[in-house]
Amino acid sequence: MTAKNLKKFDKEMNVCIRCAYCFEECPVIKQVGWDSDGARGKVILSYGLLAGELAPSQHIADKLYQCTFCRDCMERCPSNVKIIDIISSARADLVDAGFASDTHNHVINNIKNTGNIYGDTEVISPEQDGKTPLFIGCQYLSRPNKTKKYIKILEKLDINPVVKKEICCGFPMEALGFRKEFKTHKEKFQKAFPFKEAITFCPTCTVFLREGYGIDAKHVLQVILEKIPKADLGMKVTYHDPCDFSRGLKIIDEPRKILEKLGVEVVEMKNSKEQSSCCGGGGGILMSDQTLSDSIAKKRIKQAIETGADTVVTSCPTCETVLKKAAAEIGESEGENIVVRNIEDIIWKGLK
Amino acid sequence: MKIDVNKLKEIVGEDNVTDEVADRYIYASDSSVHQSMPECVVRPGSAVEVQKIMRYANKNKIPVIPRGAGSGMSGHAVPIDGGIVLDMKRMDRILEIRPEDVLCKVEPGVINDELNRQLKPSGFFFPPTPSSGKICTIGGMIGTNASGIRSVKYGATRDAVIGMKVVLANGDLVTMGSNTRVDSSGYQLSRLMVGSEGTLGIVVEATLLISPLPRYRAMGVANFATLEDAGRMISSVIAEGVTPSMLELMDNVAITAVNNAQNLGLPDVAAIVVFECNGMVKEAIDFDMKRIKKICEKNNGTGIRVSDDPKEMTRIYEGRKKLFPSLSRYKEGLVTTALADDMAVPMSKIAECVHEIHDIAKRNNVVMSAYGHCGSGLIHTKILMDTSKKQQWEDAKHAVDEVYKYVYKIGGTTSGEHGVALSKAPSWKEEKKDSLEMMKAIKKALDPNNILNPHKLMDAPDDWVTATDLRYQVTS
Repeated sequence: MTAKNLKKFDKEMNVCIRCAYCFEECPVIKQVGWDSDGARGKVILSYGLLAGELAPSQHIADKLYQCTFCRDCMERCPSNVKIIDIISSARADLVDAGFASDTHNHVINNIKNTGNIYGDTEVISPEQDGKTPLFIGCQYLSRPNKTKKYIKILEKLDINPVVKKEICCGFPMEALGFRKEFKTHKEKFQKAFPFKEAITFCPTCTVFLREGYGIDAKHVLQVILEKIPKADLGMKVTYHDPCDFSRGLKIIDEPRKILEKLGVEVVEMKNSKEQSSCCGGGGGILMSDQTLSDSIAKKRIKQAIETGADTVVTSCPTCETVLKKAAAEIGESEGENIVVRNIEDIIWKGLK
Repeated sequence: MKIDVNKLKEIVGEDNVTDEVADRYIYASDSSVHQSMPECVVRPGSAVEVQKIMRYANKNKIPVIPRGAGSGMSGHAVPIDGGIVLDMKRMDRILEIRPEDVLCKVEPGVINDELNRQLKPSGFFFPPTPSSGKICTIGGMIGTNASGIRSVKYGATRDAVIGMKVVLANGDLVTMGSNTRVDSSGYQLSRLMVGSEGTLGIVVEATLLISPLPRYRAMGVANFATLEDAGRMISSVIAEGVTPSMLELMDNVAITAVNNAQNLGLPDVAAIVVFECNGMVKEAIDFDMKRIKKICEKNNGTGIRVSDDPKEMTRIYEGRKKLFPSLSRYKEGLVTTALADDMAVPMSKIAECVHEIHDIAKRNNVVMSAYGHCGSGLIHTKILMDTSKKQQWEDAKHAVDEVYKYVYKIGGTTSGEHGVALSKAPSWKEEKKDSLEMMKAIKKALDPNNILNPHKLMDAPDDWVTATDLRYQVTS
């Protein structure tokens, strides 16, 4: 294996002094338990691949894809090791070495062929003229009712964004290690979305528009915070911080302030804000290891139930989907129930 | 002999054994410079499973190496002779919390901070506070006799362990110690186990003394233009009868590293001393903090700041706790290696020792930081160097050798709390030469087949550089 993607992290991997501080709240090692499941283990595997001390294998690929990209390890790493960059580079080298899974290939082909991660040819961007460009993202585009709701919220708050026909931002290509494909896709994306600033609906797209394209992307919650009128919904909820919010974009106060304005009391979970636990849906793990993803999500739902709130609110469509499934399963198997809602539903309710 | 992996799977279950090369590669190293692969890794879930594994290993003379978080700095968990690594993290139950007896009983895989979270509702805590408390296991702390930043007031792990259950090399389960603070007769076997680095038995349960959580706490920082002033301040605090709960020194290299990695904005001075007092009576803490402040002033301390604001205290505390990994960001191109990482010296020699460490570093073309729990006489250093160069390993070897020769000359000791294992063993063997045979006899009596973490401590190779492969790529 040439490990050409990992090569530039040669020195960075030695910055990791293998202290294991990344174990503390890593959702994967907490669930699976082997040292190979934590960030340190993944960095060591990457180092082994680069040094030629390890030959690429399906086992190594499985381990390196068992990561939610929740960035908790990076929050805790006192050496500020670029863990996610190392893991995604290792994935890229593994893809080059022929270790791409069928599921991942399928998703990447969907993006290449349809511009949408689900290969959803029915997806239609609700094109309109306006001021600031809006990037909706695959997750919302495939949920037209949610998209309409968010656009109506913007209209009610006197924000009129411009919407063009859009294609996937390409994050799955980068995250899953399909860098060659991303290089081509990037050009296509930049033609379809030639803007320097954007309002976004999806936390992950927001991070990636910033990091992958240098676009000044603002999540819709940042944009509407000041414009939300007060309401008195009288609800008590707990709030699940999407990882791309709390650690990726440091958007922690905004959703809480919006909920507060709408008269919603937020009770915090054991792990919240910067220390928030992952829902188990990120980094491609949903496609690589559904069982692991489910078990991480259930753990999070249990934390939510422990707060005594009857609703858990989040701001990410992936978190919402994954947590809803976990809540339903826990409700069925253990008789403990909690409702999962996305924040746009609460905002919509407050604006009515 | 080839290990029968299926036999081990019968004992602990299919999911708790791996002989995958990638997994073995990960378990080949810890936070030390060493690397050597085990033949398989096993995660026992109970004392009975450990007994069965040990019986199998003893019969077949297979090395067994217990491992907690794998955060040791001297190669404790590195299986120099292959064999089975026992990952003890699955045994993580807190068995009893008995505030009325001021003790708790835990399995070895319990994480230090998790234990404290569980003790908190009862108003207690487990005093040893290693910087790695968020991830290190009680078993690992027992193995190295870890102490940490509050050792100046509460002592080390050995002071807090009063009993344990241990699986011996032959698979026998033995109860040692008691449930009482005093246990006067016979050999203190549980104390012997603490610091034995997994060479005498596998701890499967520990009885730990706990302490009431202090109601009040205040923290302070003082800057010093010279190491001598900082050193005098530290020894004066202890000599004048103040009992701080933390008394930490950071030299200029450490200050720069923490600033680079954590953006703490600490001043560019020769040394910073961080101090803390805790207790049940606020007036007593205020009184002690004032005394420390005066001692700082008397020793030319500047920028003296005292705070009981929890946020500010957390900021300072976390900055200090993350010092070791932060050193990696001291200077581009230099890698932090856990070498000459730990020593203890008489209190009056702290400043001189830090100076000597800096001189040794200069002489050997490496960078060395000095920091640590100096209130206990404990100094930590690390060697920052270009690990890709063969010459730098020679330099590091000379530096380590010179550091410990100097430490003995001034009446210090090789290890304050990190243990010895491989990297520090050559120096430690020199220091303990009078008692090595006695230690070997104990080892032989308890582990006649030499299967428990072999080739560590007194049995470690004389050259740490070649004791195992290095985990770094040495290219020129």
